[in-house]
Amino acid sequence: MSAEVEFAPSGFSAAEPPPRPAGNIAAAALRFGSLIAFAAILIIFSLTAPYFLSIGNIGNVLGQSAISGVLAIGLTIVLIAGGSNVVTGGIDLSLAANMGLSAAVYASLTQLGYGDATAIAATILTGALIGSVNAIAVVYAGIVPLLATLAVMNVVAGLELVLTGNTVLPASTPFLSALSASDPFGIPVLAYVLLGFTAITTAIVQYTPLGLRLYAVGEFPDAARAAGLPLRRLLAGAFVASGVSGGIAGILSVSYLSGSTTGAGEMLLPVVVTALLGSVFSRRLVPTITGTLLSALLVGFLVNGFQLLNISSTLVSGVQGVLILIVVSATTLLRRQEA
Amino acid sequence: MSLQTPPLASIGLPRLIAGGLVRYGLILALVAVFAAFSVATPTFLTPANLQSILVNNFTLLAIVSVAMTFAVGSGGIDLSVGTAMDFASFAFVSLVLAGQPVAVAALAGLAAGAFVGAFNALLISGIGVSPFLATLGTLFIGRSVQQLLTNGGNPVYLPPNGVPEAFRFLGHGTIAGFPVPLAAAIVVIVAAAVVFARTRFGRVILSIGIQPGVVRYSGIAAPAHVAVTFILVGLIAAIAGLILTATVTTYIPSSGNAFLLNAIGATFIGTTLSPLGRPNVGGTVLGALLLSIVANGLLLTDLNFYWQQVGTGTLIFAVLALSFINRKTAGAA
Repeated sequence: MSAEVEFAPSGFSAAEPPPRPAGNIAAAALRFGSLIAFAAILIIFSLTAPYFLSIGNIGNVLGQSAISGVLAIGLTIVLIAGGSNVVTGGIDLSLAANMGLSAAVYASLTQLGYGDATAIAATILTGALIGSVNAIAVVYAGIVPLLATLAVMNVVAGLELVLTGNTVLPASTPFLSALSASDPFGIPVLAYVLLGFTAITTAIVQYTPLGLRLYAVGEFPDAARAAGLPLRRLLAGAFVASGVSGGIAGILSVSYLSGSTTGAGEMLLPVVVTALLGSVFSRRLVPTITGTLLSALLVGFLVNGFQLLNISSTLVSGVQGVLILIVVSATTLLRRQEA
Repeated sequence: MSLQTPPLASIGLPRLIAGGLVRYGLILALVAVFAAFSVATPTFLTPANLQSILVNNFTLLAIVSVAMTFAVGSGGIDLSVGTAMDFASFAFVSLVLAGQPVAVAALAGLAAGAFVGAFNALLISGIGVSPFLATLGTLFIGRSVQQLLTNGGNPVYLPPNGVPEAFRFLGHGTIAGFPVPLAAAIVVIVAAAVVFARTRFGRVILSIGIQPGVVRYSGIAAPAHVAVTFILVGLIAAIAGLILTATVTTYIPSSGNAFLLNAIGATFIGTTLSPLGRPNVGGTVLGALLLSIVANGLLLTDLNFYWQQVGTGTLIFAVLALSFINRKTAGAA
């Protein structure tokens, strides 16, 4: 099965509109525009804050983006398999809470004296379990993803509170120290973890038949069903994968913060924005893993640049909001023009 | 009717009962929860507590949920209802603090809420952005704007001796023994129910939510109706913002967002009351009542505070699962 799908010649081809150069140019402008905008932001910051483009700082941004990046990539898998309609299609609101509970599980287990191997296994299992509950609710009970994951989010956030008593659980093990260390160049290990995680998921989602099927299920469910794809299993798998990402992000956050902390839910909306923004970095304006990584880094560099320039961090959420509106408006207008 | 319709005889009594259970699951859940708390806690069934449920838990959630029902009814969703509440609240408190008459400040608050709605309307109807993304953007921008306005998120207090009588009345007054906030909620609920059931506008909105294509081809100006809907959502949320502020005599940045998820929950739980799973004001109000009773009742039990959140989430999950499983089997039959 290859990505180059040949459509059967049909009688409708004559009725197809001729290619629109104007629309293509506009689409290209938007596609490269987002990359140009990214580059422009980097240039402005590097001119105004000299330290900005140093290896150490770039590594820092990568490391700081690791947690939200892993979460956003997990969400992207659900976005791909669930389709573009956010309300009825793919979304996983339980991801941030999942990270919180997973981190709490890790920290509690180390406090009880269990080793790293047990803690890692239990944490990823926790994430996978939450993903499975979502999968069952969405795929087999048929609850709209937005609602199913909303309810699961509440339960999971509650369980985290029960487990931690809404306090910080410190944790320190050899593995966690290794994860939070930096290499001789001053680049945090977490940066490599983010790049490695991205490479693996990109390989699976963008370059295997399995990934192609996920796209098919999300974008053309009827065609996918007609082609005999196991729709339910693929969608369920996407939710489980997203849950596992939550578990991994939980481990990263325990190492980054030397323990589990409260308020993981705050991460939810930034992660949703990151995943949704990612589609502007793709050729056909669909969610992709690499696009999501770029978008996570864009947000990371923005926050970092603001910090270096001493600009109030309160502006970050406003900039994120404006970004998403500009991007989505531009996309919508372009699509309308092409239609 | 699909080809798979089973012969009548095969439906059988057990399935009819099961269907009814699910169809009236929300009402059953309400009764069950009410009965359970009455037995489990000595204080639940006291008049003082029942009034507290209505005034403290139900009022604001019901108003925000009614606003959400309009958005969901039109086929969208509004994640910025909390933002509209907050903007209304901020304008209200600031003007009262500046010595303006309460009526003027309240009108400014309503205008601020409507402004948030108009911003959404511009994005959704004007540009064609999906309501989820448009209102998500508004939520983010609103959060920054509020922090900028309040020096990074400091609450705005009214000095205890500087609270005008009319302001206090809005939050704590009574009309013939009836708390003002509750009265306001009832007015909003009844008005919304009338709009949905008796006006052309209400019918058009619901049709847009169900079959946008058909509405467009029948020559109705759907974008204009959607725009008015989202302005209305902002306006209704602003009413909740005014009442919240009047009750606590303080504006706390981004406090309105606390209602967002419960309002979405109440609205969608409410759809279980409709045989076709459509948003309706009656269902939304019962959904809000269910969430309020659960929140209040769990607080009265000896249950650990943190388990209460788990309980609420599980309950919502169960009601939703029940309803959607039913809808799927109904659709398949």
